[in-house]
Amino acid sequence: MAFDEMKSPDGGVRPPYRAYENWLLSVPPDLLPRKNEQADALFRRLGITFAVYGDKEGTERLIPFDPIPRIIAAKEWERLSEGCCQRVRALNAFLKDLYHGQEIIKAGVIPKTQVFGNGLYRPEMQGLDVARDVYIHISGIDVVRTGESEFYVLEDNLRSPSGVSYMLENRAMMMRLFPDLFTRHHVAAVESYPDQLLKNLRSVAPAACDGDPTVVLMTPGYYNSAYFEHAFLAEQMGIELVEGRDLFVRDRLVYMRTTHGPKRVDVIYRRIDDDFLDPDAFNPDSALGVRGLMEAYRAGGVTLANAIGTGVADDKATYTYVPDMVRFYLGEEPILNNVPTWRLDRKDDLKYVLEHLSELVVKEVQGAGGYGMLVGPTSSKTEIEEFRARILKTPDNYIAQPTLALSTVPTLVEKGIAPRHVDLRPYVLMGETATLVPGGLTRVALRQGSLVVNSSQGGGTKDTWVLEDDPC
Amino acid sequence: MLSRTADHLYWMSRYMERAENITRFLEVANRMALSAGRDRASHWRPVLTIAGGEALFAECYGERSAVSVIEFSVLDPSNPSSIYSSLRSARENAHAVRSVIPAELWESLNSTWLEVKGLDGPRLRDQGLSSFCEWVRERSHVFRGTTYGIMLRDEPYQFLRLGTFLERADNSARLLGVRAAGVRAGNSEVDADDQLHWSAVLKSVGAFKAFRTIHGDNLTPMTAVDLLVMRDDLPRSLHACLDQVSIILGNLNPGAECARLAGAAHAQLHFGRLDHLLARGLSRFVGEFVTANNALGARIHEDFLME
Repeated sequence: MAFDEMKSPDGGVRPPYRAYENWLLSVPPDLLPRKNEQADALFRRLGITFAVYGDKEGTERLIPFDPIPRIIAAKEWERLSEGCCQRVRALNAFLKDLYHGQEIIKAGVIPKTQVFGNGLYRPEMQGLDVARDVYIHISGIDVVRTGESEFYVLEDNLRSPSGVSYMLENRAMMMRLFPDLFTRHHVAAVESYPDQLLKNLRSVAPAACDGDPTVVLMTPGYYNSAYFEHAFLAEQMGIELVEGRDLFVRDRLVYMRTTHGPKRVDVIYRRIDDDFLDPDAFNPDSALGVRGLMEAYRAGGVTLANAIGTGVADDKATYTYVPDMVRFYLGEEPILNNVPTWRLDRKDDLKYVLEHLSELVVKEVQGAGGYGMLVGPTSSKTEIEEFRARILKTPDNYIAQPTLALSTVPTLVEKGIAPRHVDLRPYVLMGETATLVPGGLTRVALRQGSLVVNSSQGGGTKDTWVLEDDPC
Repeated sequence: MLSRTADHLYWMSRYMERAENITRFLEVANRMALSAGRDRASHWRPVLTIAGGEALFAECYGERSAVSVIEFSVLDPSNPSSIYSSLRSARENAHAVRSVIPAELWESLNSTWLEVKGLDGPRLRDQGLSSFCEWVRERSHVFRGTTYGIMLRDEPYQFLRLGTFLERADNSARLLGVRAAGVRAGNSEVDADDQLHWSAVLKSVGAFKAFRTIHGDNLTPMTAVDLLVMRDDLPRSLHACLDQVSIILGNLNPGAECARLAGAAHAQLHFGRLDHLLARGLSRFVGEFVTANNALGARIHEDFLME
């Protein structure tokens, strides 16, 4: 039985949801469906859409929005927030160490092969100093809940995680649809996210910057699935939204082409993968990147956020070592637990997993977006056998985890309100310190029983409320 | 400002202006065809010649009729100058700069596009051409009102307005060229069809009342052309368009070659006389004006590093 975040097993309502429950009982039953339709029309008009790869028909779709908020108590949030920041501090320390002295490998905490055999390790970064030692300026930590005080980190997203615009837009939508709800609750504000982000980005200007730092957001362009978010964040921060063709490098400094000639760029918040950044240094076929960018970066002429080569710290095999990193670098006990994980490059683990495929979730080590994974309990025999063959071909490419009973939150469905499984992605910002705004993106699996919350796989989103004070 | 941003803003407003002006071409044709005794189809031809799609039309539709010309100019996605394509391009350019333009402007362009995307032949016939054209012009008014009413008067605004006036100058000139044969200085012959045509042109650009105020009942090709070319107080006249273009380029970069070109073109209308300008006929004048306007557009791209 999954943990229900609203209803206790005895039929009562958990404290964070009490005021909401009272409100829900006081409104006509057709209110939520009506508001939901309004939200749909508004989102479409605002053009808050995302593109789905491989879907030729509708290149733009709405991510379904659910009008019932996910409510988190102040106390619960405090722990989550500390846990996420702790994790990111450790991961950042790991990247700095990995690309310098590699103490953690010398200490035998992480095997050498895990790092150097990893396709996302960037030898170009070895020995390179980055501004303020910050590698992970922006990260999204995916957290799931399985009980009253049981939270697990499912994965760390350290390469331009997306979704934060939905956190902000969902809140704006909820305030527009249900202003009275916000007078009944003290919901912590999330609106300062763009300001914090900009402040952080300006604080990591490179040594070569001698004046007021110019920050830009670099997008692959408007066919990218997250283009809406890129434009949204650039607008919120009041910075230029650039594409590779707008930038050029001269004497190891980066410039953008403007109507008044070239203008220096100091910090690039890039929403484009390492591989495509610079055709000279990485993928030579990339039409999206900027020639000479890596050289400028190496020379300290520009800061990239996130740094190059952070992927080595967020793949699903490195994930298993994060609790050890927390102990190694911070001398602290991890506040948030990892999900127990079998690594299929280990013989014993592989044997166990192959015997229990129908109970487990198997994921590609470098996969993302819910693609290339097997959810054992909801898969057919054929699907399981097909996946078994793929695992046997390259076992190191997979990890497995127990199927967690993700917590549920009441959700508007066709036949009324029903519990649906959710996860949570809070966004951690790292400048001088690691911080996060009180909130995040709650993703909800809209199909009954489904545990896959990814928007590319039919998931929706909810506004996430962190209460400022807990009811007694 | 990024040069690419300037480019998108400029084209966004050019396409919106184009969509609006196609409705004006259609309205002239419609009025003329409805008043004509026979050979109604011939009045639809100028719609194709103005927008430069005659060859494509012949290839795809063959026979010219009201229905086929309207379908081609309004809804055909393969016609780059259809209202459908113009609104799509306006929206795509806006999409690329949505962090620069007011949210309301993007919302308005996006909802306009969504609506025209959902339109098909039967629905258009059901709505009626006139009411559809009114709707497009209303959307264009909203576009103009939103930009004029709320945007900061900085560079993005200037490039956006530049696109509007350059496109309008082009389209207004082409509209004048529809029935230009025989219109030249010193020729005062006027027939009934001329009167019908020029009153339709004036009405299509909303200038009929202005005409009455200025020229009373003296409707001849020359008086109509005077209003639509020379009067700087009529916002769709060539003179008024070049007023704006040269002011804007002067704001953006007074030393640029494009500013000089615009100034020279403007001076011709500002200090020139209509009978001199039309000494070799209206057709010639319109042809030269459109060519000079295109050259000005190309130079603007060069001077501001736009693609």
